[in-house]
Amino acid sequence: MASRRSRLELVADILLAIQNKGGRIKPTHLMYKSNLSHKLLNSYLEELISKGMVSIQEEIIKKREAPQKTIIITDKGLNFLAEFRRMREFTETFGL
Amino acid sequence: MFRLFPTPAWFNSWDIAFGIIIFLVALLIAGYSWRIFRLHKENRFAYFALAFIMIASSLFFKVMTNGVLYFQPIRDTAANVLQPIVTPNTLFADLFYRLGFFLEMAPMLGGLLLIYLISQKKRERLNKYYEVSQIALFIYLVLLISIVSNFTFFVFYLTSTVLLALIVLNYYKNYLNNNNKNTFKVMVAFLLGMFANIFFIFVFIWEGFYFFGETLLLIGFFILLITYNRIMRSK
Repeated sequence: MASRRSRLELVADILLAIQNKGGRIKPTHLMYKSNLSHKLLNSYLEELISKGMVSIQEEIIKKREAPQKTIIITDKGLNFLAEFRRMREFTETFGL
Repeated sequence: MFRLFPTPAWFNSWDIAFGIIIFLVALLIAGYSWRIFRLHKENRFAYFALAFIMIASSLFFKVMTNGVLYFQPIRDTAANVLQPIVTPNTLFADLFYRLGFFLEMAPMLGGLLLIYLISQKKRERLNKYYEVSQIALFIYLVLLISIVSNFTFFVFYLTSTVLLALIVLNYYKNYLNNNNKNTFKVMVAFLLGMFANIFFIFVFIWEGFYFFGETLLLIGFFILLITYNRIMRSK
């Protein structure tokens, strides 16, 4: 059985899911890709937005419908992801 | 003057330079591990940082002790500073060097022991009471060996060799599991450290072994530096 993901791993998974989709993703897709509940994802997204790692863009697709939200990864988020990869490589290399 | 074991005179001061390089590499690794600890808040990163800080402090005391031993001006300064507390019956030089070697040995053995414990894959090993009892026992053994080694120096190098052999074995198992080239390099680095300590054991036969040991140790830490650099450059 796979072990529980740490908070940092969850954040990295969210950012990675956005990056893999070309840097922008719809909230529903992100929920499936990161394998998180709606409530949990929102709480993480709030934190990521407050830290400037992601931003929300609202687009009006059809005039009568409500604007669609798109989550975009920022440069800070990309930097965090690169740092997280380095940490994971360090951990694996030194058997931690 | 008290000497723990003979070293080749032409190599004096070169070993100080080697020691400073190893000291810096150890601090670099400790620093990054501490940075991960601050983010992850997991004890294993703090222990790993502590292990390399202990290795770095061992190198620091080695450089300091050898510095005083090799260079007359530093020796004179140290003698002047400590003159007020020295009585005619005090074998000051002996005390100084024995303390210096103790401060070199204890953190080195402690650091290697921590790396050995951390590199074991069982996560339960650092459970509360188990951890405390193990660490207490190991601290006792490390202190005992460090004191005994001041009289029979090869006990220290023999213990280091055994610890390094166990660390190499852990990293080999780790390499078989993850097939990661960097893990292999870390294993090779510790393997060189182990061979270095084997050379140090036999310094009493031929002092030239000291040079080979120091060189192997330096190459080992260079490999660790290259591996660290490679990780830091990865995107």
